[in-house]
Amino acid sequence: MSAKTDLAVTMCGVRFRNPFILSSSPVSNSAEMVEQAYEHGWAGVCYKTLNSGSIPMIHPTPRMAVYDYEGKREVGLQNVEQISDRPLKDNLADFRYLKKKYPDRPIIASIMGFSNDEWAFLAKAAADNGADMLELNFSCPHMTVEGSGHKVGQAFSLCEKFTDTVKKVVRIPVLAKMTPNITDMTEPAIFSKKGGADGISAVNTFRGISSIGLDDLVPHPNVFGVGAMSGYSGAAIKPIALHFIAEMAQCPELGLPLSAMGGVETWVDALEYLLVGATVVQVTTGVIKYGYRIVEDMIEGLADYCEAKGIRKAADLVGKALPNLKTTDHFDLARQGIAQYDLDRCIGCGQCFIVCRDAGGQALEWQQKRRRPKLVEEKCLSCMICSFICPVPSLISFKEMPKDWKRKPTRVMAPEMIDSVKLQGGTT
Amino acid sequence: MSVTGSFTTMETGFGLVQALAEADRCLLCHDAPCSKGCPAETDPGTFIRKLRLRNVKGAIRTIKTNNALGGACGVLCPTSRLCEKECSATGIVRPIAIGKIQRFLVEHAWQIGFEPLSRGPSRREKVAVVGSGPAGLSCAAELAKEGFAVTVFEERSEPGGVIRWGVPAYRFDKAFLANEMATFENLGVKFACNKRVDGAEGAKKLLADGFSAVFLGPGLWAAERLTGAEKVKGVRTSVEFLAALRGKGLDALAKEVAGKTVAVIGGGSVAMDCVESALKLGAKDAYLVYRRSFAQMPAETDERVAALELGVHFLVLNQPVKYLADGKGKLKGLKLVRTRLGKPDASGRRKPEPIKGSEWVLECTAVVEAIGNRADATDWSAIVKTDDAGLVVANRKTGKTSSRKVFAGGDIVRGPALVVEAVQDGKLAARAIGAALSQEVKA
Repeated sequence: MSAKTDLAVTMCGVRFRNPFILSSSPVSNSAEMVEQAYEHGWAGVCYKTLNSGSIPMIHPTPRMAVYDYEGKREVGLQNVEQISDRPLKDNLADFRYLKKKYPDRPIIASIMGFSNDEWAFLAKAAADNGADMLELNFSCPHMTVEGSGHKVGQAFSLCEKFTDTVKKVVRIPVLAKMTPNITDMTEPAIFSKKGGADGISAVNTFRGISSIGLDDLVPHPNVFGVGAMSGYSGAAIKPIALHFIAEMAQCPELGLPLSAMGGVETWVDALEYLLVGATVVQVTTGVIKYGYRIVEDMIEGLADYCEAKGIRKAADLVGKALPNLKTTDHFDLARQGIAQYDLDRCIGCGQCFIVCRDAGGQALEWQQKRRRPKLVEEKCLSCMICSFICPVPSLISFKEMPKDWKRKPTRVMAPEMIDSVKLQGGTT
Repeated sequence: MSVTGSFTTMETGFGLVQALAEADRCLLCHDAPCSKGCPAETDPGTFIRKLRLRNVKGAIRTIKTNNALGGACGVLCPTSRLCEKECSATGIVRPIAIGKIQRFLVEHAWQIGFEPLSRGPSRREKVAVVGSGPAGLSCAAELAKEGFAVTVFEERSEPGGVIRWGVPAYRFDKAFLANEMATFENLGVKFACNKRVDGAEGAKKLLADGFSAVFLGPGLWAAERLTGAEKVKGVRTSVEFLAALRGKGLDALAKEVAGKTVAVIGGGSVAMDCVESALKLGAKDAYLVYRRSFAQMPAETDERVAALELGVHFLVLNQPVKYLADGKGKLKGLKLVRTRLGKPDASGRRKPEPIKGSEWVLECTAVVEAIGNRADATDWSAIVKTDDAGLVVANRKTGKTSSRKVFAGGDIVRGPALVVEAVQDGKLAARAIGAALSQEVKA
């Protein structure tokens, strides 16, 4: 790892030694756990959502379920985890312990109130006991108490109201944490900004159903015969979460620093969040899968990337991909291309032929004897699905075609029937 | 002391998780070359795809419908030179473990109690199957699926033929065979054990007794011998040795071999089975004597390497000259002569030539001759055409012999061959029998 690269970032005036922090979840449930994480290199913690004790907090059991894909375990994770079930004083004492032992590792206190007063109470309690920042949990997708969790995040005026309440009682920066279970995240984010939010955290988990028991017909996790739609997270949700972050980063009206999360396991995942505008990246499911140690590879990997690209400060990466992220009407449609095949390396599995025939442009012929595909260039749609299924790395690549190149129209089975086609009103 | 444990039971195969992980590596080829590499038309391209898409019962159905002995083939097939040799994934890392996936699927069927084969609508014709080895069993299953009343005649006390009496239990054990045999019971195949069909006369009697057709699949149960072997105590054929391993003689054999030096003559798969077994039974030293070179051995590469790793001493380029016995006729050594490879012989392999004056004696108390199986004295020539070696002459695609009502397949037609080839013979003969009998009904 290069000593030249400075991985530190500053969010809302709070400095983090690197952009990687634990998100509010089971992985940040106690100081005993957070301390272990710090030893591996995590820059800070968004501590598990505090509970004032006004409502008894009992976790359902079992509390999580998994989504596997083919032979791959834990591509997604579903949980019915509640906010902290520890007494408020225990958590706050843990804050004090952490701040004393690790003064330069920021604590972001996640809070959730069940009333306006409770929001204020928890905010002040956290700030008074060492929290460097607050994260307002407007987004837990499986809270059933009215006016809590993602029901706040979906009722935009409440985002504004509770942020305002909190801002009135604390001086530390306040982040509002968004739910992805809406259409346009910029709206609740802007409402939160109106309430005084200093930054936005996103995304909380998606409402999901990871799987259903095929014998008992109970969706998982099976809590003694009952399943429930609840928070779904992990690698499977990353592309969707990434777009939410980019959308907020590109919203001029919002203009707040972003704390991003959703399916981060590697430095590449984290880097992509930085590139679309996140300042820090939070992680839970990656830790549930691999343990706190993954941060070592995130730190090393990001530093090496920065060095290879001549980037002195990781902070300079924030938002760097945004200028290249536009709406589809910006595409230059005059430029066209096709897939090209390096058949010297082909092993003859023929999966390209199958997908092109069944889902592409029928641009491939199968040479039975040689067991190799043959591309009819004029029929190639450049969808590139053949390259996604091809087991040989970069055997199939994209190639731009000359300006005068023309794609052959899709075959009409019975051209003589075109004349008999009925179209209502108007000509073609 | 009785021999148990790893000598009498097979290693466990893949579980569901391993099988799925292996299936996930499969490239699901468009024109799956593995499916063209099987002598018995097994279709791994389809059953692996079905497994991959969690259509597990469908995968089992694909295997068993084509081959009632899918388990035996999954375990015993030299897959590395059949289906797996053709695997496209070799171009990425290594071939898919097709045999292991097949074995898993068959075992999984037993575990979940799934039996895809069932007896067809009953037909009145009876068919006799002679021999309960892979060829006979495969033929019986195929006929039972068509509804024929099938009786399998077996000379020995239990069915299975070579997969019961001709391979060591650590490669194919009794429990596995018993599970495989359940399919045949389910199909309503009748077994007449301890019932020898005595050559042509026996076959004729079956036809006279009301069987509409006879399938001959008796296998090869005599062995080639070296000169003078019969007179020496302590020299056995591979057939005798392996059958003793699988029968009541096991403990006595173990006692005889333990702590002693054993030599096995031959370079094929059977020789490997014998020499490994000798070592596993506690032989102090087990030698494999082969007159050609290591690379020329007919045994599969993995079998040869496994034997080497187990501690077998390979004596290649050594040719037996004669047995040495003590005054009581008991073996005390094997006289060998070293060879060098000369010009290619009729088999295309360089011929071993003895080196004059290089004779030496390997002291040993037991020798197993594993130099090839041949037809026993049973004479079929009065009902079907046979060749000089006593093998039955039959069409490879139909099993048809010179006699209209007699069909044949497996080793008795091919000479020593693979289980999977015998399976195919039985299947094809069953189809021909079915067609012939159906035609008779119409006529």
